Amino acid sequence: MSARAAGDHVIVVDLGYGDAGKGSVVDWLCARPGRGSVLATRPRTVVRFNGGAQAAHNVITSDGRHHAFAQFGSGTFTPDVRTHLSRFVLVDPLALAAEAAHLASVGVGDALDRLTVDRDALITTPYHRLANQARERARGAARHGSCGMGIGETANYALEHPDDAPRVGDCAEPRRLTDRLALLRDWLMAEFDADARSSVPPVADVSATFAAFADRVRLVGSEHLSRLLHAGPAVFEGAQGVLLDEWHGFHPYTTWSTTTFANAETLLAEADQAGERLGVIRCYMTRHGPGPLVTEDPTLELPDPHNGWGPWQGSFRVGHFDAVAVRYAIEVAGGVDSIALTHLDVAGQHPLLICDGYVIDGQRIGRLAVGRDRDLVRQEQMTNLLLRARPVCHDPGSDWPAAVANALGSPVTVMSYGPTMGDKAAVTAPATRA
Amino acid sequence: MGSGRWSTDVYDAAARYRAATGTGAFAYTDTGATHVHPDLDPYGVTVRESRDSAEHPRSLAIAVLFDVTGSMRNVPRTLQAKLPQLLGLLLRKGYADDPQIMFGAIGDATCDRAPLQVGQFESDNRMDDDLSRILLEGGGGGQKTESYELAMYFMARRTATDCYAKRGKRGYLFLIGDEMAYPRVKRAEVGAVIGDGLQDDIPLADIVAELTRKWDTYYILPEGASYAGDAEVLRFWRGLLGQNVIELADLGAVTETIAVTVGLGEDAISLYDGLTDLDDVGSDAGPAVSRALATIGSGRGALISVALDDLDSPDGDGNIRL
Repeated sequence: MSARAAGDHVIVVDLGYGDAGKGSVVDWLCARPGRGSVLATRPRTVVRFNGGAQAAHNVITSDGRHHAFAQFGSGTFTPDVRTHLSRFVLVDPLALAAEAAHLASVGVGDALDRLTVDRDALITTPYHRLANQARERARGAARHGSCGMGIGETANYALEHPDDAPRVGDCAEPRRLTDRLALLRDWLMAEFDADARSSVPPVADVSATFAAFADRVRLVGSEHLSRLLHAGPAVFEGAQGVLLDEWHGFHPYTTWSTTTFANAETLLAEADQAGERLGVIRCYMTRHGPGPLVTEDPTLELPDPHNGWGPWQGSFRVGHFDAVAVRYAIEVAGGVDSIALTHLDVAGQHPLLICDGYVIDGQRIGRLAVGRDRDLVRQEQMTNLLLRARPVCHDPGSDWPAAVANALGSPVTVMSYGPTMGDKAAVTAPATRA
Repeated sequence: MGSGRWSTDVYDAAARYRAATGTGAFAYTDTGATHVHPDLDPYGVTVRESRDSAEHPRSLAIAVLFDVTGSMRNVPRTLQAKLPQLLGLLLRKGYADDPQIMFGAIGDATCDRAPLQVGQFESDNRMDDDLSRILLEGGGGGQKTESYELAMYFMARRTATDCYAKRGKRGYLFLIGDEMAYPRVKRAEVGAVIGDGLQDDIPLADIVAELTRKWDTYYILPEGASYAGDAEVLRFWRGLLGQNVIELADLGAVTETIAVTVGLGEDAISLYDGLTDLDDVGSDAGPAVSRALATIGSGRGALISVALDDLDSPDGDGNIRL
């Protein structure tokens, strides 16, 4: 197999706060026959490279089946597409079993057979989850919009105990697994409130379930991904959104995960490969729970059947297209090759605007400068400014793709007018900056 | 982002994983799978290897690929149930020292979703997992041809065996089916199914010549398949493989037939010994095997001369042969 050039693989990243429609874009990329502006050949591998089971990438098939992809790649409805969970994913074996069961109920009986998981990936356990929920309860009204899945706790525990954090490979080694789970439970017990303490499952039971996971799912070393990438094109499916990035998002309303192209590009570089950077964004902004959403407009009555109110996240909020924030996301991500613009059907039916600048304390702002890496003090200052910002908007008229391409300075190569792959189109002559 | 809509109950999850651990012979097909299992997917496979190890210093590669298209009727299910006994039979009877067995399946690349399935060479019962993962698609067209040539291409170009590379000894390949191959290995199918970029199609005779240099290749036409005993099919395969074409009257004896064929080829036994062995292990397959192997047993001189011709033929891979 020869080395592959950039463009053989594609990295799909959400340029907003999540929910841009990555799932349906990945589904479409995996399902359609080759030839197109994004990939020359149909990809048969989806690689996850951040986040964990909190993802909810909705895919609706043309015959009406629906699945919210959390850990399986959103290309799974296509029968020969496999998923690889890289070492950057926080793997939740419990949620994975439930997700596989739901996939089976919508006609995909072999999802677990098409899955490989890197042994170095961290595992999210019920203990992380209980600690996470106890902490969010303690924050009360000041909650961060966490999903309550234990993602943050998993990442945090691993930072503080890099050698003791349970990893996927441990599931195949019962003694080590039990030791690590016991350590973890004891450490987190201190964080638990009475509510959580009453529902802590015994280590032996969690351990037995994780062992069953290791028996059923194919665990692989890091060389596996390299082999997959040399065999053919892959889609790297990002979770969450760049504006939630742990270092460049609007702290503290962020996630415990690098949501840019960075992890995917690390994996590709290890295999001596490269990928095209596709940024996905809706024609309007959405956000779960609290945090800056400058263009928020509660008078917009936009339909969204799959994003209701999550008990741990707070409400689902919407606002006009925020070109300032999306340009910031693009800059944070190190640039994009092209844009997939979704929910164009909604843009046609609602009075949506494009925000091209903010007014903050009487000052006109058109660009949010990217700060140094890992400077959360600065990010928090930015958050405070944004919470005072007022949007300056205009009506883009009917040609949304051109207007967005113009506002972002990047070509729009994929347009989506609805939830199924039949509602998507690749632009052969991309809408570009005027 | 979402709201954790998948249950994270630890007991549910354990039950689900255990329920989903397929241990039955037909596990994969019976999950309702519609595509080749990833472990058996030939796409992008660099090479399937049969290698020597400290435990198995003189590995002998044995591959069994069977037709899973509709014309085979219930034969593939029987094969899935019977073939797990092959390793034990070879070892118990001393027919081969360090057998490494691979199972695979053949469909029709012109219309099937799983035109080729190939497992790994294994020295223990892990190969049975591959066997249970073979998708019995039951497709194929109605023209008495299936994509055997694609399987032969894979075996010729995408396998590497120490028995051949180190000792100049061919492995054994058994193709079980009831139809003929297509006349050419098609460039487009090789690209789509295996992922190799070929310049041109390869004529069938060329790929068979390449294949038989590395693999002592047998075709088994079993009773119970649509074209059992079909003169055209038998003539076709005899034209390609000479006397290595076996008509199998009793499908229940398929494992014994393969084992005894290997034992004969390994000079471990005479046909008489093999049949006696079968009686000893309580197999009632003796007469069927005897009939099936009659030509091979009597033609062993011819087989050896084919092997010697092969040793003299230049192959350019730089290996020193015995």
